[in-house]
Amino acid sequence: MKKKLSFATAILIYIMFYIFIAMSALEKNIDFSAYQRYYKVILNGWFTTIAISLVALVMAIFVGLILYLMRESRFAVLYYFSEIHKTIIFGTPLVVIAIIAYYYIGNAFNVNSKFWVGAITLALYIGAYIADIYKGAVEAIHVNQWQTAKMFGFTRYQTYRYVVFPQVITGILPPLAGQFTMTIKSSALLAYMATDEFLNTIKTVQSISYRYPEGFIIVTTGYLILTVPLIMLVRMLEKKLNYKV
Amino acid sequence: MRLKIRNLKKCYDQKGIIENLSLEVDDIQVLSLIGASGSGKSTLLRLIAGLEAFEAGSIEVNGHNVIESEAVEYRKKVGFVFQDHNLFSHLSIFENIMLVLEKVHHRKRSEVEPEVKKLLEQFGLMEHAGKLPHQISGGQSQRASIVRALSIRPELILLDEPTSSLDPILTYEVLSAVKLLAEDRIDFIIVTHEIGFAKSVADYIVFMEDGKIIEQGDRGILEAPQSPELKRFLGKVLTFDGGSNVNSL
Ligand SMILES: Nc1ncnc2c1ncn2[C@@H]1O[C@H](COP(=O)(O)OP(=O)(O)OP(=O)(O)O)[C@@H](O)[C@H]1O
Ligand SMILES: [Mg+2]
Repeated sequence: MKKKLSFATAILIYIMFYIFIAMSALEKNIDFSAYQRYYKVILNGWFTTIAISLVALVMAIFVGLILYLMRESRFAVLYYFSEIHKTIIFGTPLVVIAIIAYYYIGNAFNVNSKFWVGAITLALYIGAYIADIYKGAVEAIHVNQWQTAKMFGFTRYQTYRYVVFPQVITGILPPLAGQFTMTIKSSALLAYMATDEFLNTIKTVQSISYRYPEGFIIVTTGYLILTVPLIMLVRMLEKKLNYKV
Repeated sequence: MRLKIRNLKKCYDQKGIIENLSLEVDDIQVLSLIGASGSGKSTLLRLIAGLEAFEAGSIEVNGHNVIESEAVEYRKKVGFVFQDHNLFSHLSIFENIMLVLEKVHHRKRSEVEPEVKKLLEQFGLMEHAGKLPHQISGGQSQRASIVRALSIRPELILLDEPTSSLDPILTYEVLSAVKLLAEDRIDFIIVTHEIGFAKSVADYIVFMEDGKIIEQGDRGILEAPQSPELKRFLGKVLTFDGGSNVNSL
């Protein structure tokens, strides 16, 4: 009960702060009419954000797996290929990658769909982080468990199937849900490559209507509706799956 | 057990950890490996288990010539209990045992259940059978690992300091379980710092230092050590028998 009250108080203070900022920006009156007029376009943008993030995440899960397997491969070329990819990704801002991908790489490979160039760019970006999530989860399995499996006579396949995989899955679920939040947020940067996702549609309406603060209210709310449940999911998964040895 | 080790050499990163080690025992049931930290006890145990390749020499256990790359079938006949992290952490105690029996030994669940339950009962684990490894104590977890090793009816069980991460009460619990094995006439090699335990249970003692065997023999060597190394070692580990050894440190 006391916890709930504290939570409500904190939320209230935040909302008041939010309103205060909004009020000082909205000199006179609030006017959402332009956004009402274009609500279909905006809603479309919002769904595009969801779709692009989902598609990118699914691809990133595979990209990450491939990068991870390359890293663990016996062939040094593959190892370095994977490490170089990760280094470039970790060292470059996503905006820069998005712009280059859109104007040059998409062009070079003749991919014209903004949606797909955007999704693939995000997948390659997030995938680099996911590769490290796999690595961490596999490394978290104690060496004695590998040795035990070897001792009992598990084959390589059986070791992965019955010992490693089930532990890795529970280990990666919380960070993967976290990466989904990251993907949704990062997808906003695709506005720079003129993908018609959520932020870009709002920016368009803003420039038509000159109603900037209203647009930002909608955009923050729109992203929070997507990310807050995910953040809560991460917390829940962490609590639930957190079995230590 | 019959154990014949000849001129064994094992290196890590080009550094010799075990050099020219030979050991021959026959008709021994409980062999205890003792020695200071870093003396190579765990390494020797892993080599006997066929878990790692070695540079030179040979190991023969009950007639099996142990070579890591060809030891798949041999390893299936040997149980190994590590210091910790033995149990697969996503499976209950019961399923930990079942996984091995079903997947590796192709036994039918219904067929082996009674034996497994009997073992769990014998080691006082029946009420914990459904729990996950992190839900039981360290002592229970080590006993569960011993039960799992036993469930495959091994020729030999290797234990590497099974009590070193436990407090004295849990240590007693686990060592009592190991003593049960001894009474069942099961062969095992145990690396231990519990000299009292070695004295009361082992019928052969091997003392190592710097990758070499310094002294070996029956329990008598713990009562009357010959080498200065073993004397010094026992002086250090036996300081708690009322303090009478404190001066010899
Ligand atoms: N995987 C490894 N790689 C490199 N060096 C190793 C490895 N395992 C053991 N060593 C080295 O080999 C030597 C013997 O180690 P070992 O673990 O066999 O000793 P131990 O007698 O079991 O000691 P403790 O009582 O502390 O367990 C040590 O110097 C150790 O640093
Ligand atoms: Mg050791």
